[in-house]
Amino acid sequence: MEFSTEDKGSYTEVSATGRLNMVAAPRLREIVGDVVSAGGKRIVVNLAGTSFMDSSGLGALIGCLKLARQSGGDLRIAAAQPQVTMVLELTSMHRVLTPHRTPEEAFAGE
Amino acid sequence: MNDVLARRTLEEPASEQAIEDLHGILDQLWNDAAFVPALDQMAFATAVIEAASNVVQHGVPAEGATLLLGVELTVSAERLRAVISEIGAEAMDPVPDLDPPPAEVFPEDGTLPHEDESGRGLFMIRALVTTVTVEREGDTNIWVLSRDSGGA
Repeated sequence: MEFSTEDKGSYTEVSATGRLNMVAAPRLREIVGDVVSAGGKRIVVNLAGTSFMDSSGLGALIGCLKLARQSGGDLRIAAAQPQVTMVLELTSMHRVLTPHRTPEEAFAGE
Repeated sequence: MNDVLARRTLEEPASEQAIEDLHGILDQLWNDAAFVPALDQMAFATAVIEAASNVVQHGVPAEGATLLLGVELTVSAERLRAVISEIGAEAMDPVPDLDPPPAEVFPEDGTLPHEDESGRGLFMIRALVTTVTVEREGDTNIWVLSRDSGGA
């Protein structure tokens, strides 16, 4: 899985391309941890290129959400593909991590 | 109709690389069995990866043994089946709870759910396949997952 981060002005976008599984999950935690340490408050994880997510990946997203909120910020997800949406809904985690259609919409109007 | 229409296997040391390789043979399986509906492919593949990840993360090698992950995936007209073997392993202790409670609902008080994914992974497997069993045979723990599929 490839990660990239980009400062979008009002938020930091973390793009995750590939499979968010037990191999990639610890790296997502590191990357979001770095963004939070650098003072990033609003984080959007762009899942447009995430073809697969398992419970490890979901656990990492929840951990990243906690980290962002503990530092007074928030983390949102966008552009979830069908398999990711299935996992979120199956586990009811879409209530905590509600997918936004696009990264731009995740914090729009706030 | 239980004739096997597509089959893929893997056996290698239980490692992160084995999980990546398993994704690869799942993709090959769907190339060979494109008639399987996308929803069935997605649900079955997710359950298979969860079970295999459980082997890699929680499997304990028997004394002097190298822990291997073995996978056999078969597609028949109405069924997807995976036999996932934890080879050269100690017996599972405790045996995984294959009837775990429903995934925790987001608490009303605004706290966040636990990050612990092992319980969530087992819940997902149970929810995504029609039957799941775990058995011990010799030095091997064997998961058998099957999902009825309306493909053919």
